Amino acid sequence: MKALRFAARSLVRQPARAALGVLGVAAVGALLLDMLMLSNGLVVSMRDLLDRYGWDIRVAGGDLPLQGPRIRHASTTADTIANLPSVRAALLFRIADARIDRPNVGPLTAQLVGVEVRSAPGRGVVRTSPPWTIVSGRDIGSAAGDVVINQPLASASHIAPGSILTVRVSCVAEREALPPTTLHVTGLAEFPFSGVNEYVVGGTLGTLKTACGGNVVDEVDLLLVTSTGDADGAAAAIRAAGLGVNAMTNDEVVGRFQQAGFSYFRQISSVLTAVTVSFAVLLITVLLTVSVNQRLGEIAALRALGLSRSRVVKDVLSESVLIVGTGGLLSLPLGWLLAAGLDNILKAMPGVPAELHFFVLEREALAVHLALLVLTALLAAAYPMRIVSTLPIAATLRDEVIG
Amino acid sequence: MRFSGFIILLLSLPAVATAQTVQPKPDTTHPDIIISRQLAESEHLAVGSFVRLATDPAGTTARQFRIAGIYEPTPNPSRLGAVPREVRMHLPDLLNLIRPPSQSAGTEYVSTINVGLVDPHDAAAFSRDVNARMPGAIARPSSEAAGSAGPFRVLERFHLAIASVTIVAATVFLLALTIMLVDERRETVGVLRLIGLPVRRILLQILLEGLLVALAGALFGLALAVGSERLINAFFQWKYDTALIFVRITRDVALTCTAIAVPLGAAATVVASWALLRRSGLRLVRR
Repeated sequence: MKALRFAARSLVRQPARAALGVLGVAAVGALLLDMLMLSNGLVVSMRDLLDRYGWDIRVAGGDLPLQGPRIRHASTTADTIANLPSVRAALLFRIADARIDRPNVGPLTAQLVGVEVRSAPGRGVVRTSPPWTIVSGRDIGSAAGDVVINQPLASASHIAPGSILTVRVSCVAEREALPPTTLHVTGLAEFPFSGVNEYVVGGTLGTLKTACGGNVVDEVDLLLVTSTGDADGAAAAIRAAGLGVNAMTNDEVVGRFQQAGFSYFRQISSVLTAVTVSFAVLLITVLLTVSVNQRLGEIAALRALGLSRSRVVKDVLSESVLIVGTGGLLSLPLGWLLAAGLDNILKAMPGVPAELHFFVLEREALAVHLALLVLTALLAAAYPMRIVSTLPIAATLRDEVIG
Repeated sequence: MRFSGFIILLLSLPAVATAQTVQPKPDTTHPDIIISRQLAESEHLAVGSFVRLATDPAGTTARQFRIAGIYEPTPNPSRLGAVPREVRMHLPDLLNLIRPPSQSAGTEYVSTINVGLVDPHDAAAFSRDVNARMPGAIARPSSEAAGSAGPFRVLERFHLAIASVTIVAATVFLLALTIMLVDERRETVGVLRLIGLPVRRILLQILLEGLLVALAGALFGLALAVGSERLINAFFQWKYDTALIFVRITRDVALTCTAIAVPLGAAATVVASWALLRRSGLRLVRR
């Protein structure tokens, strides 16, 4: 404690350089924290989105959900899966392109999501959630033509729950010239996988088929499955059923995304973490070394007065700890604010869900941040500590006095 | 919500294993395809081999094709990390392959039509014309296709934001260092003041010195960046098996860095010296 108090006084004596040192560490520390949040943020955020509605298995026609061919013979496939003993329910999920007609202004391009739950007849009432969260109004009922829409669409088309939505939906080709259909908006909902500026409409699969004018084949983009408890076992059972589909648990989906698309940010964060830590070590070392070199006479005098070698070494270490510690504390709110800004920049990327976050603060990230700051303080103090520990007292005093 | 809309052709692996035993020979009955280098490497395929392709994993509608060539896929940053196992074929062959038995030929659709204009400057007017005359179709000039939210633009903004934070941190440290360095020369500056040199003259000298140091630092930084450019590209190209260039030190980038670093370094020296120069010569030499 004495060493810390002594170091604090040394820093207070030179307020400008101490403040600048602390601010520099705070800026570097904020960047370091952000890179640690980025390294695992996408994985944590994606897992949270996948787990949100209780569907623990994704069944797709391709390697990854929504990246590949549709699932053919969807009804039979869904029924077969729903009848497996390890499966509680299956949800058919179909996306169609839609154009929202607006009076006096141009149409909006949107997506119409159609869902339908299947479960085995003998299992009673199975409670499942559609893949959206109601924000206002009510959820869709069994009535044909009931839909929920997301907030961006409500704002852009000035539509509220209870209004009528006029859409032209195409289920076969991406752009078909189809007659308009009117749908009844029952509520506003958040769709976890919709992009920042995407317009989404959600309804039953029957509503989607009606909106397509019956011009739709028995295909879905995805099947969401909820198991009776053992997701791995249920996924294995679906794969073994020979349906020609790819069943993945949420963990497996996250793993595949990690290999396919997330690794770039992990690599970038690793490189920037290494650069940031090296930068901080180098600069704090220079700051402390110059500071120590300027005070060689003072340190030699203190040694001559009786302060032990270990005590002056502790003083230097304490200065490093105080600069890095104070800067590190300041870096937490700074890093949080910076992460919010950087997250907004990256979420402008096309196809990125609005609720997916690139930067997520976890306990592990904080622990690594703390460990790296401690390491920085120790490494940065190593060279100046060596200078003061090997300082020849008499020669230094003589040089300083003559100088 | 749909991540991409491209059609994936599933490679019928058992058929490929059979095809590898077939000796390549000229054959006009099987349509030609070209395959990506990554697919050729992963499945040990070569030019002249025959493969069976199907649109469903069971291979019920499989057809045999001859590999006419192997190509390096155009690097695509939005698919970074995904190994591009791709097949390219003539459009009629693709339509024959994906058409359901119930659908008659000629009723298929395509997702995109790329148009080459006689005069590329007419792209905007042509797009407007198509949009007005063909409801249901959207035409856009290629230059606008990526938009302001393309992956390249977003990553550029992200890297720019990180660079800005790094510059702020470097500036703060630079100021701290220059304050200490100027403080070390307190007596020299005091003597110069005492022998009659005006503050402006000393400040000019400090500014020139700062400029030289900053210029040397900027040049060293650029040399370091150019040196590491190849290393970083080689690492990421190996890591993601892509020809994508991750780091490129262009003339504009080098000029921007120099334009930021040199004035910043010089300004930091002057700002740090200013507080010292306001004191009298006697105070500076501690008399």
